[in-house]
Amino acid sequence: MSLIEKKYSKPQGHFITYVRDYLITIVIIAVVVLLCIPLSKSSGYHVVSFILLFIVTILATFMGTGQVLLASTLSAIVWNYFFIPPHFTFHIDKTEDILIFGLFFIIALLNGVLTTRIRRQEKMTREREERTNALLTLTRELSKSCDISQVLIVAKNQISLNFKSDALFILQDGNNILIKYSRINRNIDFSKSDIEIAEWVFKNNQNVGKYQNFYSESTETFYLLKGNIINPGVLVVKHSYQLSKELFSFWDTFITLISNALEREFLKEMASEVKILNESDKLYKTLFNSISHEFRIPVATIMGASDSLINAESNPDIKSELYYEIFSASLRLNRLIENLLNMSRLETGRIKPRIDWYDINDVVSKVSSDLKDELKSYNFKISIPKNFPLVKIDFGLIEQVLYNIVYNAVQYCDNDAEIIIKVSHSNDKFYLEVKDNGKGFPKDSLKNIFNKFYRSVSNETGGIGLGLSIVKGFIEAHGGTVEASNRKNGGAKIKCIIPSENPTFTKYN
Amino acid sequence: MTKFESVLIIDDELPIRRLLEISLNAAEFKVFQSKCGKDGIIDVASHNPDLILLDLGLPDMDGIDVLKNLREWFFKPIIILSVRSQEEGIIAALDAGANDYITKPFRTGELLARIRVAIRSSQKKEKEPVIFVRNLMVDLINHVVKKDDIIIKLTSTEFLLLSLFVKNQGRVLTHQFLLKNVWGYSYMEQTQYLRVFIAAIRKKIENDPTKPELLITESGIGYRFAE
Repeated sequence: MSLIEKKYSKPQGHFITYVRDYLITIVIIAVVVLLCIPLSKSSGYHVVSFILLFIVTILATFMGTGQVLLASTLSAIVWNYFFIPPHFTFHIDKTEDILIFGLFFIIALLNGVLTTRIRRQEKMTREREERTNALLTLTRELSKSCDISQVLIVAKNQISLNFKSDALFILQDGNNILIKYSRINRNIDFSKSDIEIAEWVFKNNQNVGKYQNFYSESTETFYLLKGNIINPGVLVVKHSYQLSKELFSFWDTFITLISNALEREFLKEMASEVKILNESDKLYKTLFNSISHEFRIPVATIMGASDSLINAESNPDIKSELYYEIFSASLRLNRLIENLLNMSRLETGRIKPRIDWYDINDVVSKVSSDLKDELKSYNFKISIPKNFPLVKIDFGLIEQVLYNIVYNAVQYCDNDAEIIIKVSHSNDKFYLEVKDNGKGFPKDSLKNIFNKFYRSVSNETGGIGLGLSIVKGFIEAHGGTVEASNRKNGGAKIKCIIPSENPTFTKYN
Repeated sequence: MTKFESVLIIDDELPIRRLLEISLNAAEFKVFQSKCGKDGIIDVASHNPDLILLDLGLPDMDGIDVLKNLREWFFKPIIILSVRSQEEGIIAALDAGANDYITKPFRTGELLARIRVAIRSSQKKEKEPVIFVRNLMVDLINHVVKKDDIIIKLTSTEFLLLSLFVKNQGRVLTHQFLLKNVWGYSYMEQTQYLRVFIAAIRKKIENDPTKPELLITESGIGYRFAE
């Protein structure tokens, strides 16, 4: 039984217990007096006074102050009336008896009162100890919990254990807005107006509800969970009794501990969010830098070249060179935009492959003809087995994939390097490989090359680091995987593994 | 003195219209411009151009709807301008009666070539029975195909397919169109057939089947027979 319950279950049968205790006191005194009557005859009435004093002291150890007072008064009166001669009067003949009576009365009173006080103090100490223990338990449990939901579980259990009350937490989302429906653990029926009250409490930093100044007609009490830096939220409690002053300070400490634990978890969460934000901020900056850089070069080329064409009288050779510069700059810009658009299509999940049967030869020949100028100075080879089965792909996406990989190889390889497209297949998938005999990927970059906006350190070829992440995205949209590696004898290899059914129609007569 | 052919551009982007106007004027086309779908339909009616360049992304109407509206009464060529990654839109436009498409940004030379093909084939009164493309000769009446003067044996389906391409020389033919016209409606989904037959034809007519120059792939849309 909790200490609170012990103390606060009492007022319920208050009056009856009270009366009962008084009656018991009276009965005990009466019995003792009756027993003492024969004794007084043989041993004198002074012995009776000692016995009565003894009884009062004993009563004081388990009765309340009122009962002890009654017992001492009653025993004094009864002793006077029945035992001090003349018997059955309140009159006392002897001066010494008056003195003894007075002393008896005072000793009985003191005895009773002091004992009760000691008892009360002892009880208070015990209660305080229990509270301290409860707070210790709470602190320990709270410090053990490592996220908000664990804190909430501990807090709820401890509140119900120590205060026999249902608790409900409404927490904020980290931006000082109460989260309305998540994180609410439903033990109390919670109406919309309750949430409004909670919001009011949160905004105005004031506790309201039952036993409070405001909104006391409510059945629940709303406590603001105060933190040092942020207020984690609002605690809604259905108290089963009104808290006394000292109990309230216990309660206050209790919820302060909970608030602090919640705040701690909040700050922890926010710190990690800040970290993420910082990282995305960094990413954003990198992105912006590289994109603006990448855009500026072709734009500068176009501006410069067209300006010379407009203003200067150049000879036809130079003119055609300038035209070519403008043209290739515009191609570069177009590629950039294409990649950015594809990335944003991937990011927004708008890539839905239009899968159909295609001849992989078509894809390869399309890409090699699109990149014919770039591939001119390379030793470019295609290896596709004869009678390669049809594959089920989105032509446009796989074309982009192959284009980006080959284009990447071209960017990173020196002239005359060998670039090979190799296609092969197994039962339910086919493999699209592009390998070269160039420098290969820097070792530490292998795991990153498919990341957005990643460019390896040795990169001096420009580009914004989207090509290969688009490859990955498109291949994954096909349910496939892509891996990058360095070849044994030097050079890079990118291998796409794409699932595909076996075609049902392969030959005809 | 030859009569200049006229082209109507329906596109909301002024720079694109200006560029097209300059290029088309230089190629001796008469150019009209409309900046939205509604204006475009009215301008088609008033100018009766020989060819329309229609942007699919118009501010006021869906380009496809403009196309469908026009196709109810306008039978001269319409070429679609679109952006990449709009394959479905392009296919829908081709199926709704567009003659050809070109993706932005495009090379002006390519666009002019497409325009000429479209106008020429629309003005051709009678289809020529014998067609010569590079080193290939296709005799549609006698069902004879010769490469470098050597007769090539084609199966009847292969010939049907090839003749379809030859008759629509220079024009993109969608997968659906080809399947429907060679195999029939119930084979519209059987793209496998189409791939296998295309590969077979290429093997027979192309100099290097891995680098097709006659039967050209249009990514995700269909095929085009070279001019």
